[in-house]
Formats: sequence, structure tokens, C-alpha cells
Amino acid sequence: MPGGSAAAPKKGMSNGKKILYSVLGVWIGGIVVFVILFGITAHKAPSVASGVFSPTDEFRLDTWFKVGPIDFNKGVLYLLMAVGITLGVMTYVSKRLQQRPTGRLQVAVEWFYDLTRGMATENMDDTMARKYFPLIATLFVFILVSNLIGYIPLPIDSAEKFTLFGAHIPSFQIFATDTNVAFPLILALCVFTLTTYEGVKHHGPIGYLKSLMPGGVTGPIVPLIFGIEILSNFLRLVSLTVRLWANLLAGHLLIAFMGGELGVLVGQPVVSWFLLPIGVAIFLFEAVLIAALQAFIFAILTAIYLGSAVSSH
Amino acid sequence: MHAAASHLPIASSGSFLITPNVGIMIWTLVVFAISLFILRKSVFPRIGAALDARQHTIEETIDAAERARKEADQLLADYRERLQEARQQAEEILARAQKTAQAYEHRARDEAESKHQEALEKTRRDIEAETRRAIAEIRREVADLTVAATEKLMRKTLSEEDQRRLVQEALDELDFDALSVAGEGH
Repeated sequence: MPGGSAAAPKKGMSNGKKILYSVLGVWIGGIVVFVILFGITAHKAPSVASGVFSPTDEFRLDTWFKVGPIDFNKGVLYLLMAVGITLGVMTYVSKRLQQRPTGRLQVAVEWFYDLTRGMATENMDDTMARKYFPLIATLFVFILVSNLIGYIPLPIDSAEKFTLFGAHIPSFQIFATDTNVAFPLILALCVFTLTTYEGVKHHGPIGYLKSLMPGGVTGPIVPLIFGIEILSNFLRLVSLTVRLWANLLAGHLLIAFMGGELGVLVGQPVVSWFLLPIGVAIFLFEAVLIAALQAFIFAILTAIYLGSAVSSH
Repeated sequence: MHAAASHLPIASSGSFLITPNVGIMIWTLVVFAISLFILRKSVFPRIGAALDARQHTIEETIDAAERARKEADQLLADYRERLQEARQQAEEILARAQKTAQAYEHRARDEAESKHQEALEKTRRDIEAETRRAIAEIRREVADLTVAATEKLMRKTLSEEDQRRLVQEALDELDFDALSVAGEGH
């Protein structure tokens, strides 16, 4: 590699620096190699040039097979994986809980339990917290697992295939059910319905509408404020949905574009190589931070909405 | 329209990106409901029970430690008190022993003194008795000697009665008191 010269380690350099300079050298060298090999003119692939290839195909849900009226596609596969992993891990850990914690998994699950119970008890009274703690905890763990398995490349691309030792294998892809708006929307609808139900049960139908109004508002401005409050109540549903969906979809799109797709679209392999470090950084950022953060936000907002439904403004 | 859109890769596929897939909605609802049901029925109660049990154990352990510490403090206090008592008793015993020893010593000294005095007294009495006996003996000897000497001088034997009378007279004239005093002074 031409970049090898840049990676020549100086005496007394720390290991971390050596690795950093080596990677940097390989990256710069790679750019040079790509420019030398392919030049700077575009080499669009035929499928890209003709518009057959679309970068959003990653998120298309093609029906794999049907059982009666029930469709199976990769979204369903990811849902089943999510529920399998969630129930498997949680049941496994809950059956092996020790008085003295024996592994990190137990500590993690206990920490998760304390965290979600804290969400419930801090935002609701005791009765409501007992009633809705399972929902909040399940939302958290289910969304977290769904997000996390979305960063594992799996051979699920039904459109593209590659051949390995004669076997036609679907191309590897990263996909998450959260990238389809249906997943967060139905969960947000459940939360919205429960919130309204609890509010109406606690205040009565008229009382609930009144409880949406902020205190101290009088006069002709009341209808305007009331309209805004009703709107904001429905916007909770929208924001809950869009926050999770858009974060995951944008994250996956960014990883895909930075991880090489942009280079394919413009027909410049050097662009793919150039952007690869950014793709890796975004991947790590999404997988480590966003996956857990979005699950956390969804769970805690559920607790807050449920808590505020039964309390007066 | 559709043919034109197909030349724009992203725009052509926009619809499925933002349209909720009803099938996925139903699947999500079912799968989530199953998760919620199972987690709520069997998993969360078990974790909760385990955490409560641990908290209970921790509380009990802290209580037990507290009790043990109190007991230890009590024991230490008792021990110190007893040690103090023992020290006091030891001091008392020592003082008593010293007193007893002193008393014993005094008595022994007094007894020795009195025995010594008795012995001296006895010796004195013995000497006196010996002296008296010796004096009596001497008297007898002197009387016999005087009789013998007188016989020789007078060439005449007096009757025994006369002799005794004469000797007694002579002896009475002699002063033995001086001798007796000298014997006592010994």
C-alpha cells in the first residue's frame, strides 16, 4: 500500500497513536489508489444509470410468502427476532437471578428493571405505577432490542443475491422494523389510547377536556388555547411516532450512504472509500447511543404522558 | 408520471417509506402484546421478587450487624467493669495479706521476746537455786571442817550435841549474806 510510508511508526509512539496513524495512512493511500485505478470520471453502474437501483429499496417490504391473509416479509422477521430475543434473554436472566449477581447480564437486567420502575414511580402515583410499569418496561426493552438487531447485517435482501460456493444467498443488509413508520405508529397509538382512557376515567369526559387547559386562562382567548391544547395532545402521538421512526430511518440511510451507497450512486468508488470512516463513525454512534436513547425516550415519555393524564394542569 | 419518477431513484420509492404498512402494524401489535403478557406474567414479578428479596437480605444483614455491634459493645463494657472489679479485689487481697503478714511478724517478735524473757527468768531462778544449794553445802562442809579442827584443838571430843551447838553458834556469827548477794549478782 502506498500509504504504508505514512504509517511508519516513530520511536516512542504509543500503541494507540500507531494504530491511528496506520489507519489514517491506509485511508489516504486508499484514496490515492482508487483515483489511480478508476480516475475521476464517473462509472455509473447500469442499474443506477437506468434508475432501477434505488437506495431506499433497503426499506421496501417485499412479501416473501403468504399464509392465508397473513403476509410474511423482513419486517415480520425482525419483529419475530425482536420478540424472541426479548423474551429469551429476559426469561433466561429472570430464572437465574442470584442473590449475589454472577454476571454482567444480570446486573444489566436489574439496572434496566430499576430504571424503568423509576420512570413509572417518578411520574405516576403508586396505583398507576404498579399498573403501567410492565407496559413501560416492555416498551423500553422491546424497542431497544428492535433497534439493536437493526445494526446486525443479515442476509435478508430479497432483491439482490450473491453466490457463495454455488449457493445463491440473499445479500447482507442492515434493516430495522422501526424504519417502517407502522412500528412506532402502532406503539404510539397504544400509548395515546391508554393516556386518553386514563384521563377520561380519572376526570370524566368533560373533565378530561377541561384538564387539558392550562390554569388561569380566561376570557375570549379560551377557545384558541383550547384548540392549541387539543392539537398539542394529538401532536404527542405524532412526535412520539416520528421521533423514533425518523431517527432510525435517518440513521440507517446515513449509514448506507456513508458506508458506500453514495459512491455507487455517483459512480465514484473513491467517494465510497473517502466516506467510509464517516460511515463507521455514524454506525457506532447509532448503535451505541441512538438505539438505547430512543428506546429510553419512548419509555419515559409514555410514563410522563400517562402520569400527566391523571393529574390536573 | 411513474416512468418519469423512476429516473429519480429516491423520489420514485417515497411512498412506501412514509406510508405505514398495515400488516406490520398488526404484527407489531400482536408481537408486542405477547411480549407484554409474558414479561408481565412471569418475568417482571420474578425480577421484582429477587430484588425485593435481596433488599430484604441487605436490611436484615445491616440489622444483624447493628445487633452484633451492640452486643460487642455491651460485652466490652462488661469485661472492662469486671476487669476493674478484679483489679480492686486484687488490691484488697494484697493489702490484707500485707496487713496479716505485718501482724504475724509482730506476734512472732513478741512471742520470741517473751520466750527469751522466760528463758532468762528460768536461768536466773536456776542460778539462785544452785547458789542456795551451794551455800547450804558449803555450810555443811564448813561445819564438818570446823568440828574436825576444833576436835584437834581441844583434844577433847565433845558430845555430838555440844559440837552442833557450837558450830551453829559459830556459823551464826559468820556473815553469809555477803556470799549470797555475790551469788545472786552472778
